[in-house]
Amino acid sequence: MFLRNYWYVAASASEVGRKPLARMILGEPIVFFRTEDGTPVAFEDRCAHRHLPLSMGKLIGDRLQCHYHGLQFDRAGQCVRIPGQEQIPPNAKVKTFPVAERHGWVWIWMGEAALADPAEITDFHWLDDPNWGAKASYLHVKANWQLVVDNLLDLTHLAFVHETTIGNAALAEHATVKVTRAPNNVVVTRWIIDQPAPPTFVKVGGFTGNVDRWQIIDFVPPAFLRLDVGATPTGTGAPQGKRIGGITMRNLNAITPETEKTSHYFWGQAHDFDVNNAALTEKIFEQIQTAFYEDVAVFSAQQRNLDINPNPPQIDINADTGVIQARRILDRLHGEEQAALHASAAV
Amino acid sequence: MKFRVELVWQGDAADGEGAVPSIYLTPDGRVILQGRAVTAAERAALALPREAEMISVDRALIRAIKDML
Repeated sequence: MFLRNYWYVAASASEVGRKPLARMILGEPIVFFRTEDGTPVAFEDRCAHRHLPLSMGKLIGDRLQCHYHGLQFDRAGQCVRIPGQEQIPPNAKVKTFPVAERHGWVWIWMGEAALADPAEITDFHWLDDPNWGAKASYLHVKANWQLVVDNLLDLTHLAFVHETTIGNAALAEHATVKVTRAPNNVVVTRWIIDQPAPPTFVKVGGFTGNVDRWQIIDFVPPAFLRLDVGATPTGTGAPQGKRIGGITMRNLNAITPETEKTSHYFWGQAHDFDVNNAALTEKIFEQIQTAFYEDVAVFSAQQRNLDINPNPPQIDINADTGVIQARRILDRLHGEEQAALHASAAV
Repeated sequence: MKFRVELVWQGDAADGEGAVPSIYLTPDGRVILQGRAVTAAERAALALPREAEMISVDRALIRAIKDML
């Protein structure tokens, strides 16, 4: 299941340049490149002539030249040169996709082009805001994208999967969890009061005693999860809005389906303390990266089981509440999108 | 404090829905709702069972339950 009429992160800005980049997104092979003035462009990665991936070609000015017979396509996807002939067939063109750049990422619109509005791109400003220290990265995940969304909406797993970094038993046993469900949004707010800090927080925050810890997970369809996380020494008023003497971070996640069984996982970690300390940014990043590698192992193992038995029975527990709400939103949005598609096809 | 979950439904403003009381899921498997105790007069007028404890809940809460649980 894919939702198409949305902006997705396709690549980091630094990945897209004058050498064509091939990437599969929502089951479609896409080629990315930049024109000479730096504008990102995205095409269907298939020559209109004999189907070779255009990503195997090269750029001649702002034209992408196919490696096989030298057909050249301009930034609108129109073939503008066929070696050895002047006449260019009118349907010698490839599909193009709206793209935009925001927050150090190149975004692509995979649905009906007329609906693409860059103003709708999800806000990830912490990644390039001078008031935050931040570092972004990428993981390739051998699992369906919804397994990654599920993982980020239920953070009780930190106590078991990430016990050497961001997890401890308090997360699973001593949390109050509030799930706020709006028609197209889920916010999961977790507080763990007067409990030990996890190892990562001790390393980067220097906590020596118990803390009040928060995790506020904001889910926006189709697959964006922005986490406000942190802790303060216990009893200093964090639940009442006073974040004094502690640490505040943002864990930022943008999952883009590659296929039904694989995903592109773009993520970043930002901190609002000692923001110009590059060594601290790197230290925090490495802690979270260690945790995320552990998650990738979990997703892959889940997917292997689901490949063997695609629709097994499953039970739900209280901690799944946010996950269940998000899946219901996604199922509804997908149904609406499919209905609109069929309605327009019937006309 | 053990693990407990509060569900808050923010309905669609277009449907004219207002705030809906929260739903609480407890570690021992109960669902706790907010409501108002049914009065003796209501029991009599509606011929409700005499012995059982009964509460009146907002219809919007039932919708929230259907949508979220």
